[in-house]
Amino acid sequence: MSLQAVLPDTISGLLGLEGVLGDVVGGLVGAFLVANIMLIMTAFAGPWAKRKITAAFGDRIAVNRIGPFGLLTIVTDAVRLLSKELIVPEGVDRPAWDLAPMVIPFSALLGFAVIPMGNGIQLADPETGLAFAFAAASIASLGIVMTGYASNNKFSLIGALRAVAANIAYEIPLVITAASVVIFAGSLRMSEIVAVQAEPLLSVAGVTIPTWFAFVNPFAFALFVIANLAEVGRNPFDIPEAPTEIVAGYQTEYSSVYFVLIYLGEFIHIFLGGAIAATLFLGGPAGPVLPGFVWFTIKIWAFFLFTQWARSAVPRLRVDQFLEIGWKGMLVLSFANLVLTAIIVGVIA
Amino acid sequence: MSLEEQQSDEPAELESGVSRGDELADLLGDLVVGREEHMNAPGLVIRPDEVQDALFKLRDEAGFDHLSCVTAQEYEDRYESIYHLTKFDDRTDEVSVVVPTSKDNPVSQSAEPVFRTADWHEREAYDLVGIQYEDHPDLRRILLPDTWQGHPLGLDYDQDRPQIATLREHANPLEEDHRAAGDSNTMYINIGPHHPATHGVLHVETVVDGEQVVDLDADIGYLHRCEEQMCQQGTYRHQIMPYPDRWDYISAGLLNEWAYARTAEDLADIDVPEYAQIIRTMGAELCRIASHMIALGTFALDVYGDFTAIFMYAMRDREIVQNILEDLTGQRMMFNYFRLGGVVWDLPEPREEFFEKVRDFLDGLPQALEEYHDMITSNEILQARTVGTGVLPPEVAKSYGATGPVARGSGIDYDLRRDDSYGYYDELDWDVVVEDGCDNFSRLLVRMREVEESAKIIQQCVDLLEDWPEDERNIQANVPRTLKPEEDTEIYRAVEGAKGELGIYIRADGTDKPARFKIRSPCFSNLQTLPEMSEGEYIPDMIASLGSLDIVLGEVDR
Amino acid sequence: MSSEQKPFVTDDTQVQTETRDARMAGADDRFNSKLREAFGSSPFILTKFDKFMNWVRGSSMFMLQFGIACCSIEMMHTYAIKHDLDRFAAGVPRASPRQADVIIVPGTIVSKFAPRMKRVYDQMPEPKFVVGMGSCTISGGPFQEGYNVIKGAEEVIPVDIHIPGCPPRPEALIYGIAKLQERIANGESSPVTVKPYELEQFGDLESDEIVDKLAAQIDEDDLVMRYNWADSP
Repeated sequence: MSLQAVLPDTISGLLGLEGVLGDVVGGLVGAFLVANIMLIMTAFAGPWAKRKITAAFGDRIAVNRIGPFGLLTIVTDAVRLLSKELIVPEGVDRPAWDLAPMVIPFSALLGFAVIPMGNGIQLADPETGLAFAFAAASIASLGIVMTGYASNNKFSLIGALRAVAANIAYEIPLVITAASVVIFAGSLRMSEIVAVQAEPLLSVAGVTIPTWFAFVNPFAFALFVIANLAEVGRNPFDIPEAPTEIVAGYQTEYSSVYFVLIYLGEFIHIFLGGAIAATLFLGGPAGPVLPGFVWFTIKIWAFFLFTQWARSAVPRLRVDQFLEIGWKGMLVLSFANLVLTAIIVGVIA
Repeated sequence: MSLEEQQSDEPAELESGVSRGDELADLLGDLVVGREEHMNAPGLVIRPDEVQDALFKLRDEAGFDHLSCVTAQEYEDRYESIYHLTKFDDRTDEVSVVVPTSKDNPVSQSAEPVFRTADWHEREAYDLVGIQYEDHPDLRRILLPDTWQGHPLGLDYDQDRPQIATLREHANPLEEDHRAAGDSNTMYINIGPHHPATHGVLHVETVVDGEQVVDLDADIGYLHRCEEQMCQQGTYRHQIMPYPDRWDYISAGLLNEWAYARTAEDLADIDVPEYAQIIRTMGAELCRIASHMIALGTFALDVYGDFTAIFMYAMRDREIVQNILEDLTGQRMMFNYFRLGGVVWDLPEPREEFFEKVRDFLDGLPQALEEYHDMITSNEILQARTVGTGVLPPEVAKSYGATGPVARGSGIDYDLRRDDSYGYYDELDWDVVVEDGCDNFSRLLVRMREVEESAKIIQQCVDLLEDWPEDERNIQANVPRTLKPEEDTEIYRAVEGAKGELGIYIRADGTDKPARFKIRSPCFSNLQTLPEMSEGEYIPDMIASLGSLDIVLGEVDR
Repeated sequence: MSSEQKPFVTDDTQVQTETRDARMAGADDRFNSKLREAFGSSPFILTKFDKFMNWVRGSSMFMLQFGIACCSIEMMHTYAIKHDLDRFAAGVPRASPRQADVIIVPGTIVSKFAPRMKRVYDQMPEPKFVVGMGSCTISGGPFQEGYNVIKGAEEVIPVDIHIPGCPPRPEALIYGIAKLQERIANGESSPVTVKPYELEQFGDLESDEIVDKLAAQIDEDDLVMRYNWADSP
């Protein structure tokens, strides 16, 4: 299958560079672009969209005085938080405490390296793209453990332990469910998974419905979205943070820049979750009329909206119920889904 | 009814009370060393070393299963603890067990083995008045810092002496009987006094084993604002009334004011005009709705985790109630609307507009409740979180003196509005809501259903007020400018506050200020049940149980 | 809220002068930056930068989710529907003091709580601001005569804005916060007050009757707060 050129190659091609230099420059510039795209989205999501969405669910208005629609809040919030005093509490485990806030956002950003965002925006397209995305995303939990352990705060520790438990319990169903897509697509390469979904499934009254796996196997899609919610730690699975139980969970002791980084990390993680879901189940950047990148953005924002909706409307589970659902429910269902998919695909093929 | 009738009931009650006193004195036999007469109940004087015998007998043989309150006070010549006993089945059957102790050796036997609720009540008595209780499992200060000097409600307390408060994390060693075989690894965490889920400034000293609560001790006193001292410094007629608003400050102001109004009116023998009683009833039920709305909102906050939709919706409905109350009283929260013998002013003019506003609210309420039921009680995750957690069996609830929605959520059919009726309640058609699930879910449900019942009451009050003849709108009885109840009259009266039985004990000393003013707060007793509900459960369940108790620290600490 | 469109104008020249004096005399260096020291009194870029920073701080604040007493109910109403404090970009309650800029002190402070409140205040990162809500934080309010009540929040932590009322209506709280934002945007800070009650180590207390009495109960290095009720206002 002939693959579209990845972004670094395009850039080095444009710049007329070749060889190692071209790879390095193209890679750096590409990574810079992708990272910034995601950071800009997060900047919109964190201080502004989240507040506006929550407010809309609660019949409020939220920020509207600072700039048009309160949009300048993004600037003020960011600058203010960055300019605040960075408190280093006594007794923190220094290297780990400083590293953790970097690990969390950067691991999530790393996951975007293999996501095809449409219009040729994809940093790399390795054969094991899907595995890489999952691997990168789960590094974030390492960061959370570091925050919890290093903070020297009991609430943080409980939060971190909860995050680990959550991650182990839900990572497996997540990956198993994704494996059912791989059986369909026959590849771990992200671009191929997207390409397979472009084929028409059926045509109703002139409108062609593509083989998005969300249509082919809605059950797997539902499983994946739920496991994904748990992955990104949003209601009903927001137990690692659980403000009314353990204050702010693993981020209790973090202020200023470090807090911004953790906060960013959380939102990038949500977007990464949305991006993987979109790639696996919603045809990636595919969609009519609008360019691919716009569709991709719409899809990940839809997932973001979904997380915020859940946050406003669904109670939080207790930690043992949460794990029970993970191990006894999600895991069994995802295996059942995998086996059934394998049988069906085997029979059809 | 019937205020006249009610008033004419009083002597009859008193009469039967006298005979009741003889009966009980016969039952206790030699244990009784003297007799007193309180306005609400016969008083039996018991020697300080025979308290448990007497209380066991009264509980097991005469059926007094509710230790409503323990009042401690210092006289010139003695200390005195009064145990106000009554029954969950028959609230009007009361008895006061009076235990005097000597001035130089104020030691009295603890009632804790008989009634679990005596634990905190006696700690408070020790803290504020200075009576020692023998046999008490854990007699230390409860409201004031451990390092406090002196007992502030004693007679010779010097308020100007310096004090020192520490910022020490209280050690809460794991109790022996909770320790697992081998050495389990436990962790001690402080939940509060500043914590998002403690509804104010409660400090819960928690020992956890992983996520499970092994041991728990609620540390209170972070909002002890000396309400009893304030009331003892105020004159009956005007200066006390503003303070009740600030006990249970969650807009239950009128309910609290009624507690004081009822006690002082009975003490000074004041009749309240019927019209004023209807206004009081309506206002009080509006307050109950406001209070239950916030209970709902903050419970959702505890279980959902953030200021989310449910919280906002509950606040929206509360705003409407607060607007109505503001029209009625002139204030949003601290109403100061009741006066002894009536209320301060009539309904706002134009009356039609006010009635319309109330009716609009009542018409919209079923739909709002429907919405809450859709969003909260029928949500499966919420049911998974609340059904079967925070279980409080009725016997335990009774032993701790739990009242209000907490007791009614445990299947105890006990509501002062019906059982010891006051105001206009017995003329109206409404039901006491009881759920027998004993868990967090039933307590939530009780509150939501009580809102419906309150709406029913308000509806009837509005109908009555609308048709009331214009020349009979008497809002205030004749009350002397200065009230000076006779010396040594003692009374304990309670009303059904938003959180339960809110009682007040007043001893008059012949001046225009009370000599002892004791507040029996429902939250104080209800909060005591928290360890029973939460030990062995998970941290989130403990938080949910705390939310379902719906405590107000202003009332717990007073 | 930018400084151009001030809805509530009062006479702030006086305050500004006082603030400037305090700043230059070194009595109050909350708005003094290292850069200012390095570059002299008021170079153009730095003042513009200062102005920008002040605008930023005034236009965005996270509140500490901190409830004490009656006023906290009105505070919740201020966050919630109808009043919606978040319109002024000041309505995100954070549970952890490390992430908060403003602490609204909503209620009576009593002897047991004052050390804890001081601790929470200390845990907040600079620059931090305090809004004293209600009469109790001004003077002890209706409970001033109580044996256990601190006569105002200012005895323990510095307060930037006092909002009178018992409790203040949500509108009043919004006004107070808008006023605080305006002051921050103008670069004014409140004069730092002398706080009679401080957290100190027990061993550092001067020996007197009560200290001697408690010496057996309290360790030398325990943090304590000593209340001199007789000297309270």
